[in-house]
Amino acid sequence: MKVEATLHGDRKVYSVSAFNRGVGSWLSRLPTLWIEGEVTELRRQEGWQSVFFTLKDLEDGSCLPVSMPRTTFDALRLEVADGDKVHVYGRPELYEARGVFRLRGLSLEPLGLGAALARIERLKRTLAAEGLFAAERKRALPLLPRRIGLLTGNEAAAKRDFVTAVAARFPAARVLVAETLVQGVKAPAAIVATLEALSREPEIDVVVLARGGGSFEDLLPFSDERVVRAVAACPVPVVSAVGHEQDTPLCDLAADVRASTPTAAARLVVPDEQRLRADLERLRAALGRDTRLILERGRHALAADAQRLTRAPALLLERKRAGLDAVAGRLRALSPRATLERGYAIVRTDAGIVRSARAVAPGIRVDVELAEGALGARVEETRE
Amino acid sequence: MSQELTFEQARAELERIVSELESGRADLEEAVRLWERGEELYRLCVGKLDAAEGKIEELNRRAEAVRPQP
Repeated sequence: MKVEATLHGDRKVYSVSAFNRGVGSWLSRLPTLWIEGEVTELRRQEGWQSVFFTLKDLEDGSCLPVSMPRTTFDALRLEVADGDKVHVYGRPELYEARGVFRLRGLSLEPLGLGAALARIERLKRTLAAEGLFAAERKRALPLLPRRIGLLTGNEAAAKRDFVTAVAARFPAARVLVAETLVQGVKAPAAIVATLEALSREPEIDVVVLARGGGSFEDLLPFSDERVVRAVAACPVPVVSAVGHEQDTPLCDLAADVRASTPTAAARLVVPDEQRLRADLERLRAALGRDTRLILERGRHALAADAQRLTRAPALLLERKRAGLDAVAGRLRALSPRATLERGYAIVRTDAGIVRSARAVAPGIRVDVELAEGALGARVEETRE
Repeated sequence: MSQELTFEQARAELERIVSELESGRADLEEAVRLWERGEELYRLCVGKLDAAEGKIEELNRRAEAVRPQP
């Protein structure tokens, strides 16, 4: 197209309109292509010819105004809204009336959940192959953390739920709250930096990631590779309470423990103080009881020993006495006295016991010992 | 044992002592020694519970940028 200039001396001057037309004509020669970005500032009104929005770069937030014929936009039958990630098919143009560069959108496709899911799935396989999600890597949570780090968005709910549940179970808990961006393209870097800052704080024994439910896209930062790696590399155990039960962002897999909600996370990181104290009392009672039992057992054994000790001399004496009696009995059985009792008598002379008639002669005096008493007698005669 | 035990270390040792006593294997002298240690651990645990003071603090979002690295 011919752009006309007027001459002012040797200077060629273009009118604004002509200049815009010229640039517009030049831009229109650029190819039609697909551009990826996030929809923001979407404006659509029934009376308007076009629908307008700004396409924002997913990485650095650079902006590109887009206009799209309303009929084309409506024909897509898409529930496009701010925050949606899309591919726009279009060509650059200049809105000549205002000298504004923009993209003329001819078609639009939502950056499918399918594409994002596939990307996450690939990352999941890579990280799993590295062993980042392995059960052996999981660390046990401390029974009684000195200090709890809570990483959360600046939404009130997740933080309130967690803090309330912690305080109810364990009033003495100390929580260090770190709020950070949890949504959008800058969230991953912010989460990583905050997680690192939190875990460097003194006495932090566990970190909790708490993020309420949200759309699939809202939770994408928690499946970002940087975040997942930071969770796995965190020097203290991490509890992930991100999204709802059905969402499984990758950080859930890298965390040491997964909690379905911030409240559930609280139940995991602090013990029930009442129960903890009851448990200690139970242990102490058992300690005392078991020790007493052992002491008691020792005392009984000792008492039994003592009894045996005191009884021993008497027993010994008794045994000796019994032995003595037996001997005495035997002695008695052997004594001539028993024989005398049966009617025998012992006859003695001065020479001793008379065992033969020949040992005496008539007229000799003998002494006769009887069972009871003795008598003197003279031998009248002897018989052979 | 010169290093301060954590709550769970103390609690675990107390548990071990109780089961040792429960088993009845310990002799008298050992039992008394275990009991004394057990009481000490019990006091340590309860002390830790008593000493803890609930606190909710905020980590300044800008803190990591401003604070010099130790």
